[in-house]
Amino acid sequence: MLQCIFLLSDSGEVMLEKQLTGHRVDRSICDWFWEQAISQGDSFKLQPVIASPTHYLFQVVREGITFLACTQVEMPPLMAIEFLCRVADVLSDYLGGLNEDVIKDNFVIVYELLDEMIDNGFPLTTEPNILREMIAQPNIVSKVLSVVTGNSSNVSETLPGATASCVPWRTSEPKYANNEVYVDLVEEMDATINRDGALVKCEIYGEVQVNSHLSGLPDLTLSFANPSILDDVRFHPCVRFRPWESHQILSFVPPDGQFKLMSYRVKKLKSTPIYVKPQLTSDAGTCRVNVMVGIRNDPGKTIDSITVQFKLPPCILSADLTSNHGTVNILTNKTCSWSIGRIPKDKAPSMSGTFVLETGLERLHVFPTFQVSFRIMGVALSGLQIDKLDLKNLPNRPYKGFRALTRAGEFEVRS
Amino acid sequence: MFPQFGATAETLSKASSMVFRIGTDAHLYDDPEDVNIAPLLDSKFDSEKCEALKRLLALIAQGFDVSNFFPQVVKNVATQSLEVKKLVYLYLLHYAEKRPNEALLSINCFQKDLGDPNALVRAWALRAMAGIRLHVISSLVLVAVGKCARDPSVYVRKSAANALPKLYDLRLEEHTSAIEEIVGILLNDQSPGVVGAAAAAFASICPSNFSLIERNYRRLCEILPDVEEWGQIILIGILLRFVIARHGLVEESIMFSLRSTKSGKSEKNGEATKISNKEDTGYASGNDDFGLGADVSGNIDLELANMVSRCYIEGPDEYLSRLSYANTGPSELNVAQFTSGKSNDDVKILLQCTSPLLWSHNSAVVLAAAGVHWIMAPRENVKKIVKPLLFLLRSSNASKYVVLCNIQVFAKAMPSLFAPHFEDFFICSSDSYQIKTLKLEILSSIVTESAISFVFKEFQDYIRDPDRRFAADTVAAIGLCSQRLPDMATTCLEGLLALTRQEFLSSDFGSVDGEAGVLIQAIMSIQSIIKQDPPSHEKVIIQLIRSLDSVKVPAARAIIIWMVGEYSSLGETIPRTLSTVLKYLAWHFTSEALETKLQILNSIVKVLLCAEGQDIQSFKRVLNYVLELAECDLNYDVRDRARFLRKILSSNLDYQGLEEETNILSPNKDLAYVLSGHIFGGQTKSSPPEPINYRFYLPGSLSQIVLHAAPGYEPLPKPCSLPRVDNVDQGTNGLERARNSDSFDTDETDSLSGSLDEEGASDYGSEHSISGSNVSGGSNETGSASEGDDNTDPLIQISDVGNAFENQHGVSHSGSADLGELISKRALESWLDDQPNSSNTSTSEQSQVRVSTARIFIGDIRHRVKTKSYTLLDPANGNGLKVDYSFSSEVSTISPHLVSVEICFKNCSSEPMSDILLEDEESNKDSNSADQTLVATDSSLTSHNNVPILVPMEEITYLEPGQTAKRIIQLYFH
Repeated sequence: MLQCIFLLSDSGEVMLEKQLTGHRVDRSICDWFWEQAISQGDSFKLQPVIASPTHYLFQVVREGITFLACTQVEMPPLMAIEFLCRVADVLSDYLGGLNEDVIKDNFVIVYELLDEMIDNGFPLTTEPNILREMIAQPNIVSKVLSVVTGNSSNVSETLPGATASCVPWRTSEPKYANNEVYVDLVEEMDATINRDGALVKCEIYGEVQVNSHLSGLPDLTLSFANPSILDDVRFHPCVRFRPWESHQILSFVPPDGQFKLMSYRVKKLKSTPIYVKPQLTSDAGTCRVNVMVGIRNDPGKTIDSITVQFKLPPCILSADLTSNHGTVNILTNKTCSWSIGRIPKDKAPSMSGTFVLETGLERLHVFPTFQVSFRIMGVALSGLQIDKLDLKNLPNRPYKGFRALTRAGEFEVRS
Repeated sequence: MFPQFGATAETLSKASSMVFRIGTDAHLYDDPEDVNIAPLLDSKFDSEKCEALKRLLALIAQGFDVSNFFPQVVKNVATQSLEVKKLVYLYLLHYAEKRPNEALLSINCFQKDLGDPNALVRAWALRAMAGIRLHVISSLVLVAVGKCARDPSVYVRKSAANALPKLYDLRLEEHTSAIEEIVGILLNDQSPGVVGAAAAAFASICPSNFSLIERNYRRLCEILPDVEEWGQIILIGILLRFVIARHGLVEESIMFSLRSTKSGKSEKNGEATKISNKEDTGYASGNDDFGLGADVSGNIDLELANMVSRCYIEGPDEYLSRLSYANTGPSELNVAQFTSGKSNDDVKILLQCTSPLLWSHNSAVVLAAAGVHWIMAPRENVKKIVKPLLFLLRSSNASKYVVLCNIQVFAKAMPSLFAPHFEDFFICSSDSYQIKTLKLEILSSIVTESAISFVFKEFQDYIRDPDRRFAADTVAAIGLCSQRLPDMATTCLEGLLALTRQEFLSSDFGSVDGEAGVLIQAIMSIQSIIKQDPPSHEKVIIQLIRSLDSVKVPAARAIIIWMVGEYSSLGETIPRTLSTVLKYLAWHFTSEALETKLQILNSIVKVLLCAEGQDIQSFKRVLNYVLELAECDLNYDVRDRARFLRKILSSNLDYQGLEEETNILSPNKDLAYVLSGHIFGGQTKSSPPEPINYRFYLPGSLSQIVLHAAPGYEPLPKPCSLPRVDNVDQGTNGLERARNSDSFDTDETDSLSGSLDEEGASDYGSEHSISGSNVSGGSNETGSASEGDDNTDPLIQISDVGNAFENQHGVSHSGSADLGELISKRALESWLDDQPNSSNTSTSEQSQVRVSTARIFIGDIRHRVKTKSYTLLDPANGNGLKVDYSFSSEVSTISPHLVSVEICFKNCSSEPMSDILLEDEESNKDSNSADQTLVATDSSLTSHNNVPILVPMEEITYLEPGQTAKRIIQLYFH
């Protein structure tokens, strides 16, 4: 089981340490860790499980903050990693983002949360709803109150009722004047287009996000028109397995507020909404580059926030890029970013320019990969359709809302 | 232009960030010590106390030691404010172990809080009380936990379950059975939340006490989907272990199909491959080439998976070390240890209740459930785990890596499982380098003939990736793929050759390290493909030799030149080109790099030895020329090699004018000739399929990721080790009985370790690798230490000493020596243990029994294990005498009954000390072992229920400030 959790800033400073068991871990382990991180560079920072001379370390990096957990005995590594991810989620939810300052400013809350989330190295309460009831979230009101009155407690006086109920994820008996529930399909398209322009892989990773503000203990049933297209699914603990196994129906008592009801995957899609065609030709020490972007399959809604990003290969000395639409930026870490926004009706956006190669290099032999991002409101590209949402156990008719959104996930075009 | 404006903007942004920080605890973190904390702690107002505690917490967070506030903080534990209470608890738990005496002051408050009507207060009090880890109060805590285990509130019961491992961690013998009983109660709880926490307690306290599980097995299975996610992970593992111990492995599972192949080779083999073929949807080649290709590939993965299952059961260290013993026959598990998954209800229920967990949103749960199906599910159902596992790859980068490590093992053992999903292992540019290499490795082990063209297309893209290290790995993967699918060899070779031609362009100018790496890797891959079937790739060799002119990287050149020597007599074209090639090499010799020079020398000799006809003369001339050059080389390695070659080949070189004189050579020269023939001429045999030396640990375990057994790693229990008697109340007794009646070679030792378990030795059981009974006396210390890993070396070897055995081997050991070893074993045990004295009373009870059953050898511990030292006397303010003691591994010179204790005195004060003596207080202390804790009294070390016989130490007459002195005392434990 975990023995200790450290929170490190992106400069390697130990911001917090929380000892979890009687076997204390000295913070010199962080020095060791940081020395390794500096000497081995980025690949070390991406290594989730590290065997140090004295401990096994698990690390999760979020927004520059390194969450480091130590153990000396066998335990499921994914459990530690998932837990650290959960801690990071809860903290960023509580503090409205993660960065060095916000953690230092709210260190008491971080301590209280950690103390509640893990006991003796084993996760205790990780359900955000219950945590929110036990430890108050810092908000403007409480801040003002604490300034005015000089004291405010963020620790709840009583135990949330949910800890005892059979639906531990649900706040006990919330009351709303307007009962409403929103169901969002949020999809990410992962696609790989190879050098020849062929679609190697195209799949959708989607989430059903529900925002529920319903009084009492409602029982919801959500069904899809075409569940057979789903390749694989994962559920929030509130979803009952049986109805899904037999009829592919989602039956659940929802947590209060925003949560991820399920995630799914649809594989082997045939086409992408937009195309990106990079062309690189090089000779005599320079390389001409030309990238065209256009709509391939009109999804029926506008595609916006289109950007194309790529990293210049190390052998390129300088780059000069212009576009007929949108703006092109070359960042200090040799990343080029071309933000297009929406595709205009009258012309196809294109970016062109030249790279100057390293002296002595005749032709380019390594080629960048272009990462594309876009967003389409109102469409779920997988084609998944919600059939109906039934609500039981509610006093009055609630408002039901549905939305859909598709954005690019790992959308890559190789050149 | 408007400097003042800019300044205003700056202050504005500063001000806004100030506003943002108002009301947070920012100022407390930034300047925790800007006010005097002590008076605040004594304040009447909760808010001031709160502030003080927050400041202390900030100091703790920043790594300062604020334990000197302990007494003041402890007073505040009685507060009514929950926030203050929480903060006090946070502080208390951080320092309790450091200040045990003051921590005792808080006990009354905890006990009062345990009766509080607010469940939150009760739970917190229990958590804090269990967390302060004092032996003295352990019995109080035990009572409290027992009470809370029956509390009406679920949350409190959950806290009770979490408190149990803390209590157990103190390693107090007398509480063990009570703790296990409470575990049993909590496992039986109605609330799933409690069961989850109880499962975690079970796993860390008594993982092999299956009688607790047996009672509730069905109910635990049914409740499993409702248990919270973290408990699920642990509970799945427990249920799996139980089913294996109870019923054995499933005969339809992968584990079985692979296992049986060794004994019933041909028939089973065919059947198994047929099955894997049927499952393998990606296999385009139908039944036509079933004979050769499929059989071979099927065989390999069977063998590998057989290993996997053995590693799971025995632990790779023991399994592999046993393999290295030639004389120990593998203990085949007999059919009785398998059960039919179709008819066994327990197995069916386990699989049923874990399969919906494959949809869990917690990756660790999915992986744990997949592990159960991998081991237990019938072969045809295993593919159920594939999609959920692949879906995990869409989660965070950290878990992606762990999941891939596990998939790698599954894919190696059963490639057909993942073969249809090869696209999921295509690389994204956002993957880290580790993930990329793992994906490549998986791809090359699952690729099938129908998929290979897609995979190669991908590989071509990867080779152009800007990360050249990754490109080199891709080239290596191409080599591996073509080894798996020999039909693809030609295609691979063409691609690789094209690559080498491409690469020189860049390697010429760029001279980047990465490019050289890719080129070397490409040529190595070519080499490995050629090695499989040299005659059919003659043209490739010629092409490579031709490219010598353009390949500039020394390592790559060396490999090509090696091929010249190796395949000099292959086919018809190569021998004809040889003289030109050798002349070319000789011409360029001086401008070559070191490794190439050495390789040129070797190759020319090889060519010469294989040569026939008139070529020999010209070859000899070339060799002479090169040797002369080499003998004047700057590098001594080259010079040495040249001289050696000249000596050994003197016969060949001297008789230049004569032909066919080999028959009339003097015997001496003949010998040299034969020798050189052996050194250089020995054709490399097609190496047997490389010995599989992977280590496999249970899926989802930490050990599988770090590839060594982490402390506390336990392989699966022995199949059917749990008796099928229903009314067994003591699990361990039954265990022993069952084992004695069986015929494993490790039986006796196992039952011994079973009895050790009762002392709580099971926690570090994996560090002792208990070897089988057939290792004999003196060779023990060196034997079986074949693993390079420190962790795996058998530190202690326990062999059973039956009477017959005593007669054969025990002669050389006198009885007293045996006893001495036993005692040092005990000493060892106590320093391995956290609390050295706690288990001694029971050890002495058992030692009588053990003398007759076991002999324990201790290898040279000092080199492997750092002796742990304990603090006997701690200078409170960093000022005074500091005394540490440790159990040294030396055997006493006076009597084997004595245990040596090394005591280290250090003067931490600024003044010298004199006349320091540690002596035995002749007091008959009562035997309450709780008193023997780290309470720093002089006699704690020696205060046992019976007065130890003590060989006193020399008196230290004078100790300078800062000086350290070491003394050894020897004492006798009863």
